[in-house]
Amino acid sequence: MQVDFGAKELTVKLVYYGPALSGKTTNLRAIHWLGTSSACGELMTLETKNDRTLFFDMLPITMDASSGLKVRIKLFTVPGQVMHDATRRLVLQAADGVAFIADSQRSETSANRESFLNLKRNLEDNGMDPQRMPIIIQFNKRDLNDVRSDEELAAIASQSREPIFRAVATRGFGVMQTLVGLIRETWTKLEEEHQLEEKFGINAVRFMHEVESNLRHQTGSGTR
Amino acid sequence: MIEDETTAGDILLGDVTRLEDVLSRDSVTKVVKSFFALFGLPVRVISDEGDLLADVHRDQPLCRYLNTLADGAAKCAATVSEVRDLEPVGDTIVHPCFTGAVYRVVPLAYQGRSMGRFIVGPYVPAEANSAPTSLTSLEGAFDPDTLRGHYDHMPRVREDIAEQLCDHLEGVLELLVFSGHRAQLASTMQVASVRENYRELAEKNEALQESYEELQQLDKLKSTFLATVSHELRTPLTSIIGYAEMLESGAAGAMSNEQTEFLQTIRGKADELLTLISSLLDLGRLEAKTLELNPEAVDARALLSGVGSTVVPAANRQNITLDIEVAEGTPKIWGDPIRLRQILLNLTDNAMKFTGNGGTVSLLAAAGEQELGGPSGLGAALFATRRPAVVLTVRDTGIGIAETELARVFDAFYQVDAGTTRAHGGAGLGLSIVRQLVDGHEGTIEVTSKVAEGTLVTVTLPAANDNDG
Repeated sequence: MQVDFGAKELTVKLVYYGPALSGKTTNLRAIHWLGTSSACGELMTLETKNDRTLFFDMLPITMDASSGLKVRIKLFTVPGQVMHDATRRLVLQAADGVAFIADSQRSETSANRESFLNLKRNLEDNGMDPQRMPIIIQFNKRDLNDVRSDEELAAIASQSREPIFRAVATRGFGVMQTLVGLIRETWTKLEEEHQLEEKFGINAVRFMHEVESNLRHQTGSGTR
Repeated sequence: MIEDETTAGDILLGDVTRLEDVLSRDSVTKVVKSFFALFGLPVRVISDEGDLLADVHRDQPLCRYLNTLADGAAKCAATVSEVRDLEPVGDTIVHPCFTGAVYRVVPLAYQGRSMGRFIVGPYVPAEANSAPTSLTSLEGAFDPDTLRGHYDHMPRVREDIAEQLCDHLEGVLELLVFSGHRAQLASTMQVASVRENYRELAEKNEALQESYEELQQLDKLKSTFLATVSHELRTPLTSIIGYAEMLESGAAGAMSNEQTEFLQTIRGKADELLTLISSLLDLGRLEAKTLELNPEAVDARALLSGVGSTVVPAANRQNITLDIEVAEGTPKIWGDPIRLRQILLNLTDNAMKFTGNGGTVSLLAAAGEQELGGPSGLGAALFATRRPAVVLTVRDTGIGIAETELARVFDAFYQVDAGTTRAHGGAGLGLSIVRQLVDGHEGTIEVTSKVAEGTLVTVTLPAANDNDG
């Protein structure tokens, strides 16, 4: 988190992590397409000619909170391919929260696990404590065959420390819920650490209402 | 971590700090020039840092004329400075000039942050009918007709059109900022990724270097251990052999035939053990580079016949034909006679061990040449020098060695077939010691072989100079 007291401006960095081709960039595209143009800026993609993320994608979101504070939320994706580990570590620096985009297909279970371990290792390498990092998990690609069932996910969710979301990012289902969920987790943690309400008079519950109304003019299906 | 300085984390957050970092003056000037050419409206682009990034305008006759008048010049300067200092937040400011013209000051924001502004004007709104009184009531002497004439020549635009034109220019400039920012991030990330990869590789290299040094240390320790243990083993063994000899010679009373036979077995096995321990000791010293060589000129014929007479009894037992030949003109060898004998004896023993009944083992010495220093092949003429050498070959008609195994025959404790240890004896130390001894003499050793046909070992050793004796 970066604070500019003079400009009454607060910047939060959220990173979409996950295995290659799990739909991180698709999530950002869907947010850009579903979100209001007043809040969502231009989606910047740094990709190769094969549509694979090379460095990262970035989507800036700007909101004027009722307390007079300007809140800038910057969404980043990391490149999922294994060889780009150094870039993933760089993008992860200074992250305030992480959305882990998992592929629901059974065949991708081990890729999800590998990527999550990689996230944990890279957080540690960056001197960040994975235990204290706000993380939510999205099971994407719910529309494909041979995915882990809803019952399985419900069972996982009841055990999981991280909130679990389901999504079909190509159709925009569940992406906004995931984003709002991630902002909520992150804000709760930032409030604990920095007493934002005390310093900026910005109440967490009211802020989340503002996030929802600023961000959304449409809603997809998909639930927690 | 809260950072009060906005610049520190800008790259990590993908932010733009200054407009001039991402907006090239050339491209923005080109865009503004074409805007001016199309609509005749002057444009200035200013960053929040106060830098003038583009300025395209033509002095209007009205402004030129007013600047010749004291009151006009003062009012003109005041207006220009007011317009320059305007910093609009969120919305465009339309600022009037006393001439009846206006300036539009449009804020430039990027990703929710103010970056700068652009100023379009002066132009006269097309809706205005005539010159305002603020212009026509200037103090001092001036020509009202000239003033009115110049006023009529000012660029005119309808306000709603002016607003659309400004929206368009704002969109174009934002796009330029976006592309500039994208290029800046790509190059920053490129450099940062390379640096990060380098750091990671350097760390790994360091770890590898450390474990390599550790292994070297262990290797050294192994050699020292080998040398020490062999030495300590040899002392009691010498006593065992000595006392066995004394018993055998009757020093402690007469021995029965059976007792003598047992003693001979003890002696024989103790001798075998002593040879093995001596080999271990040699290997330990050779690896620790502490074995001293005392080179002198050694006659090849004497060397070969000495070895031959040692192995003849064994060759006769195994029905192996032993051929020894020293070619005409073979020079003397420059080497340690004891170690040279050890080399040749070892190779001959080995050859006999793997040659069956009725086979042949040949020892041959001949004059040769040896290449010194430098790499062979490319540029060899520059590096290599040749010197006279003696080539010793040991050929057998034995079982041979498979090509895949050839590279490893010189490894200590290695035997091509683990079964051969039982069938032929030996600990797999011989060839390893031979190679190290040959290396110690600055010689070379090569093995060629064909399975079921036999093996040829070629040792090339430096020849002694004529005056070495």
